[in-house]
Amino acid sequence: MPENYNISAGFLRSAHAHADRVFYSDRNLDVTYGEMGETVARLASFLCSGGRPRRVGILATRSFEAYAGILAAGLAGAAYVPLNLKWPEERIVVLLRSMELDALVVDANGADLLTPAVLHAAPDRIVIADGSRNVDARGGQRIVRLGDIDGEPMREPASVEADDLAYVIFTSGTTGLPKGVMISAGSLRSYLEQSRPWTCLTPADRLAETCDVTFDLSVHNLFLCAEAGASLHVLSALEMLAPARFVRMRDITVWMSVPTLISIMRRSGSLKPGIFPSLRLSIFCGEPLPAAAARAWAEAAPNGVVENIYGPTEGTVICMRQRLAGSGVFTPGRDIVAIGTPYATMEVAVLDARQRPVPDGTPGEIALSGPQLAIGYLNEPALTADRFREIDGRRWYLTGDLGMRDGKGIFHHLGRTDNQIKVKGNRIELEEVEAHLRQASGTDIVAVVGWPTIDGSAQGLVGFCNSALPAETIATSMLRTLPRYMVPNTIHVLDVLPVNINGKVDRRALLARLRESEENGDRKQEPSARTAEPAGAS
Amino acid sequence: MGEPTSARIRDALLSILSTHGISSIEEHERLFSSGRLDSLAATEVLILLETDYGIDLSDENFDILQIDTLHDLERMISSRETATGTPGNPGR
Repeated sequence: MPENYNISAGFLRSAHAHADRVFYSDRNLDVTYGEMGETVARLASFLCSGGRPRRVGILATRSFEAYAGILAAGLAGAAYVPLNLKWPEERIVVLLRSMELDALVVDANGADLLTPAVLHAAPDRIVIADGSRNVDARGGQRIVRLGDIDGEPMREPASVEADDLAYVIFTSGTTGLPKGVMISAGSLRSYLEQSRPWTCLTPADRLAETCDVTFDLSVHNLFLCAEAGASLHVLSALEMLAPARFVRMRDITVWMSVPTLISIMRRSGSLKPGIFPSLRLSIFCGEPLPAAAARAWAEAAPNGVVENIYGPTEGTVICMRQRLAGSGVFTPGRDIVAIGTPYATMEVAVLDARQRPVPDGTPGEIALSGPQLAIGYLNEPALTADRFREIDGRRWYLTGDLGMRDGKGIFHHLGRTDNQIKVKGNRIELEEVEAHLRQASGTDIVAVVGWPTIDGSAQGLVGFCNSALPAETIATSMLRTLPRYMVPNTIHVLDVLPVNINGKVDRRALLARLRESEENGDRKQEPSARTAEPAGAS
Repeated sequence: MGEPTSARIRDALLSILSTHGISSIEEHERLFSSGRLDSLAATEVLILLETDYGIDLSDENFDILQIDTLHDLERMISSRETATGTPGNPGR
């Protein structure tokens, strides 16, 4: 019999072995492995009622239904595709049309987004949370409540091969729409095998989940937690703004978040030495980890270790890590923690502009190769061919990240080769935002920059355009097509935008202008660093 | 204690909410966990609590879930005033 790569198999084993232990916990609800197992088995049977599903959408996050939907899709042998609840209606409709979903699982907050236009683009089978508002199906569509499903529960995981699609997670694109990264069941299996030995989860562990299921750090937590029989403690978006109490009251043992959460706590003064005695492992990912922030966290969690991990969604969550040990390993000149060394199964190279390896100590583009590489981008063969290249007989993913390997073989992150930035851990292609600014302002002369920069990370976006429309009107129409964290905090309408020698709008000159006006004490325009939510809360 | 404090926090909250397009709220309505308001609005409420009511946000046991409903907010502020015996500085 061929090996089964079903992604829910680990959960299923725990559902039997640890039936009475808590699997899922949020502010309102505790669900045991046994209870979750029953829900997942019934939901999977419904998902299979029209034949084996290929793709199941998850219009849910930070909820019992979100996790039930993911595990049930997996059990049924389908790929899961999370939809971001912060996407405006127009974007949900456009993306639903491209996803070719067989079913959709929706929590109570997601049900509020099921407008007639969304339902029109949605698949024929929809499961909504028991506490959802009433939703009227369109013709030919069936909407049931999770608790009302009464089919024969699915007890055996559907047979899945290594090359089958496990999930599609969307990240910012350059053309105006996000791109869907397709990860196979084999890549996920390989990721879990490499992540198990250093996380060492046991049934006694209590993991804090800070991320939405649209962010692939949630893949790490969910699947490692479930196979270990540990419990997943999900923070609400509100709890993310002051998370100390959550960790303390729940005796959390494993924390993972973007470094912005450290900044939020340091700003409020709540990150004090020794306040997290229960933490044995703290993991940061998604943006540069400032050395000072890492040290402050390490002092707050004196009984644990801090890990900085690195990797793009296209390489299945992460593939490099660096433990903060003793004086730690820092990146010279940037005062951030190094990104460390690769997983044993993954090869990491630093390449020049013609994709040839550069010597140690020389900056270049970080490229990845190995079993964790994505299948490619959903419905984007040209983009896939551009970023996933065959070099010397091997398949490589070009990350667009600038990096360097030092003489000890440790890798360092040095920024980006293109116009992708991270705002509080949210990956944003400036071109994507510019495409929407062009449309909203009715002009081609636009630019978007990340601003201000604190600890080497952008805290927000500022837009510039030459438009007849007032800035407020432009911002309002951008909110109709983009999630809030991608809409510039400030939009400057200028008569003339500086251009560079190629006639392109000069982002560098615009940044210099912002810096200048800040130095002149003109702070009233400063976009407060609080508008964008940390990644995971997006 | 209850009345004037309640009225004050209610007015202050409503003026924040009005800038986010919300004109009325129910006593037990969930403002943030319902998705009705985002983290920007939550941050504005936190700043209000810190500057006008002396709530200590650096307290590692600060329970942010108490700002999710008007009812809980009122309770948090009046219990704090009972505990310290001093009404918060209205600050305006």
